Amino acid sequence: MRPDVERRGADTQQWAAMTASPESSTIEREETEHVVLPDVPWVTIVWDDPVNLMSYVTFVFVEYFHYPRTKAHRLMMMVHTEGRAVVSTGSREEMERDVQAMHSYGLWATFQKADT
Amino acid sequence: MSRPFRAGRHGVVHVDIPQYGAGLLASLARQLVELLSDGEAVRDGEGDPLEEILTIDEPRETPEDPALRRLLPDAHRDDVEAAAEFRRYTERGLRDAKVTDALVVVDAIGASDGEATGGLELDLDAQQARSWMRCLTDMRLTLAARLEVKAGDEDYWAGLPETDDRLPVYEIYTWLGYLLETLIAAASH
Repeated sequence: MRPDVERRGADTQQWAAMTASPESSTIEREETEHVVLPDVPWVTIVWDDPVNLMSYVTFVFVEYFHYPRTKAHRLMMMVHTEGRAVVSTGSREEMERDVQAMHSYGLWATFQKADT
Repeated sequence: MSRPFRAGRHGVVHVDIPQYGAGLLASLARQLVELLSDGEAVRDGEGDPLEEILTIDEPRETPEDPALRRLLPDAHRDDVEAAAEFRRYTERGLRDAKVTDALVVVDAIGASDGEATGGLELDLDAQQARSWMRCLTDMRLTLAARLEVKAGDEDYWAGLPETDDRLPVYEIYTWLGYLLETLIAAASH
């Protein structure tokens, strides 16, 4: 359905990790913003609520995002323990679609610009 | 009592629910349809007629009813304008999707011959099972909003006197959770 989202997210993380050397932060930061912003500037966040079952939230993450069960479970636990988790990254249009899908499953989700 | 949902072959889920439970589910699903069909933003009849023809008819306000607000939440936390805009373009579709899910439940129960067998026994295909899951979730969210269920308040509910009239509703809420849990297990098989 949307196989590109996770890949792109993983690539970005890896890239950020590789360039996160302390001595050259200014230049790297500019590069990071230059490279990342047009590509993955929006995120979908799922928020904790007292009603939804942990098994159901995991099921939805596997079902809709096609995440491996371990990743889906990890994201669900993050929602549960930290109150929220970024569950997908991409264009604004893609995030709007994800948020609407989460709402159709009864999960409480919002979208926003990354790192705001 | 047998499990309400069991995994069948090829993603099919067998349903086996006592008659009273099936009647309750159908009633809750119909109430959900009613809730989601009401209270949509109504044209106020003022302002530019042309603008009204072009732009009205789609909701922009966050619902006041706590249950509807949870079923149709704001898609933005801080940006009120963006949330209203998103709602305007998506809320109707979201309501329709939830109503469609609820009607899958209503139709399945209506089509089964529960009187003859003493209960609800039928098979759901993978798509129908998803509709049931989403609908059971919407029922739980609605009841939880009405009961004002909070995180970690199990002891509060367990400690209520038997005469408290919220107790039967809370028992339905926990029963729906049990149904959903077994349905997820059956559908994940």
